Amino acid sequence: MQTMTEPRAERRNKPGAPVLEARNLKVHFPFRRGLPFVGKYGVIRAVDGVSLHVNEGETLGLVGESGCGKSTTARAIVGLTAPTSGEIYLNGARIDGLSSSAMFTHRRDMQMVFQNPFSSLNPRMTVGAIIREPMDIFHLHSRRDRRLEVMRLMDLVGLNPRYMNRYPHEFSGGQRQRIGVARALAVEPKIILCDEPVSALDVSIQAQVINLLMDLQQKLGVAYLFIAHDLAVVRHIAHRVGVMYLGRIVELADADALYASPKHPYTQALLSAVPVPNPQREEQRQYVALAGEPPSPDRQYPGCPFAPRCPIGDEHCREVAPQLAGGQHLVSCHKVET
Amino acid sequence: MSSVPVEQPAVTAALETPSRGFWSEAWRQFRRRKLSLAALAFVIGMGVSALFAPAIAGTKPLVTRYKGELYFPAMAYYNRSWENAIFRTQDKFRGRYPQNLKQKDPESWAIWPLVYQDPQRRLYRDEWEGIPPNPTGAKGKPYLYYLWLKGWDSLFGTNYVEEEFGELLKDGPLPFNLFGATDRGVDVFAQMVHGAQTAMLVGFVSMGIAAAIGITTGAAAGYFGGWIDILLSRVIEVVMCIPALVLILALLAIVERPSIWHIMVVIGITGWTGIARLTRGEFLKLKQMEYVTAAKALGAGRARIMFRHILRNALAPILVPIAFGIASAILVESALSFLGFGDPTRPSWGKLLDQGRDSIQEMWWLILFPGLAIFFTVLAYNLIGEGLQEATDPRMRQAGH
Repeated sequence: MQTMTEPRAERRNKPGAPVLEARNLKVHFPFRRGLPFVGKYGVIRAVDGVSLHVNEGETLGLVGESGCGKSTTARAIVGLTAPTSGEIYLNGARIDGLSSSAMFTHRRDMQMVFQNPFSSLNPRMTVGAIIREPMDIFHLHSRRDRRLEVMRLMDLVGLNPRYMNRYPHEFSGGQRQRIGVARALAVEPKIILCDEPVSALDVSIQAQVINLLMDLQQKLGVAYLFIAHDLAVVRHIAHRVGVMYLGRIVELADADALYASPKHPYTQALLSAVPVPNPQREEQRQYVALAGEPPSPDRQYPGCPFAPRCPIGDEHCREVAPQLAGGQHLVSCHKVET
Repeated sequence: MSSVPVEQPAVTAALETPSRGFWSEAWRQFRRRKLSLAALAFVIGMGVSALFAPAIAGTKPLVTRYKGELYFPAMAYYNRSWENAIFRTQDKFRGRYPQNLKQKDPESWAIWPLVYQDPQRRLYRDEWEGIPPNPTGAKGKPYLYYLWLKGWDSLFGTNYVEEEFGELLKDGPLPFNLFGATDRGVDVFAQMVHGAQTAMLVGFVSMGIAAAIGITTGAAAGYFGGWIDILLSRVIEVVMCIPALVLILALLAIVERPSIWHIMVVIGITGWTGIARLTRGEFLKLKQMEYVTAAKALGAGRARIMFRHILRNALAPILVPIAFGIASAILVESALSFLGFGDPTRPSWGKLLDQGRDSIQEMWWLILFPGLAIFFTVLAYNLIGEGLQEATDPRMRQAGH
């Protein structure tokens, strides 16, 4: 509670310091199949040793196919899922494993925007009440000022404040996602975790929401951890991009560098699968086909998890796990010179 | 703001109409069902007449000016001790106002209830000028019956009035017992009006208690899950297994002289299981919703999530068993009074049925009128419950009415 009374400026970190940092984060879900005691027991390694950091005012994109642990990473960071091991730091303070009351003060600095704008807003609450709720929870502003603040936020995200007393079902998907963004901004967080915020929207609306997010970053200096499976969207918004595969980050680099010269074979395959909106260039596109399905995350792999599908993988890859290495352009692959 | 493309709101056309919340929409749907709406009107009318029962039937003036002061003796029907001491101990009215008022203060005036009849005692001779005392036993035939036969006779030229009321008419004017009188000469109409008070009170208070227990238990079981859920679910099942009436009788046996409040509490603490199971189910379903996750990520406390986010969405389906529960609570209270376990100081519909049990052949009015009252009230609550169910369930709504 102490930090809440401190002025906002004093809570700011040294410039350049990471707002959010995760070190060797692991989230494993135990499961049981079949009868008790005689059935099969095991763990799903949804997130298996993810390390990342997001600097102030920066956007880190996180991409990967379905089930690679992107969303679980975000949920673990905001404390919706308890991490199995690893450390999470927010503004340099460790926040993993905190009790909900100890976590409370940190939540103000870290907010979340959800994937489905149709289910992430309470259907019984008006838009004004939804956006005001975080202020109610953190006792920000006087009661009268909260109304004005809601109107300011609605204006900020491009919604007419006149619609304050309307219910979510009266809005389109894009407008609802704006409401979700306004709710996240209500407590002036330093970082917003966007869990596939545009996947559920039409392509034309996606651009509007992405532009809104970028605009807000310029104005407010908020950082994003932006999760998506659409590489084009991430390229547009992110400063740095991490590629996830089977609960691990296999490549992490500046967006431009990563898109220009992907090093990891998986990233290469992913990027080659992106269609180019230019018929002539589209024909020349080199398509790297991957064999097989992503392996099941309920087994532990001694070597590189991508090895079974890798076009250049060999025995060594299957036996020894590679480490994420290389100064600015981090890659986790034996075959890449770092 | 210029760089952010502003999406044109899809609702521009409907800009002027105010937004419809869930409950106003539900009310709109409810109004479409005429039968449920009639039932609601019936229940509201019943509630109003129960609230103002002393103004409809009683022997105590609503307002009186006596010895230069204003008094409200009818308040005694709500609470006995509210009868002013001047009437009880000082001037010794003994509950009989008309003559006492005139004798002890000729200047006094009073506003009387619509029907001068008492739900507790028999009227005495000359209590009210020109009105004979209430008859006892089979002679206390309903005045309504007299009017009915008279109308029949004048229409068809029969002579049923003489046949049925002959000997009573010889004694002079008929006593005004709209629904007849009991064995002991207590007016049935007055008892019915005051009994509606009991029925309403039992319905709402016992279901209020049941809802409080049921919603808390169900919410805790559904929200926390795990061993709390297992434990609470077993408690619910155990309570459900015991036949309600047996449990109520056993609990009432603990109290030495059960009053209506004991009965209400006992009905409440045995009738919450249905509500609890439904609440548990709703919580299990709704706690998975993404807006609940969003609230958690916002840092909302448990109470806020449970009540503002989940319960708010679960309330509509929970109201349905509460409406049905009110009906069954009224039935249970009537059954208890019928069996003789009721509150002896309070008129109730079940008690009238109990009194009519021994003389069902000659005193049919003791069964007919309270029976109809119970039937219609229970029916009305069931219709309201059904209407609520359909008005708040979007699947039913789309089916169209």
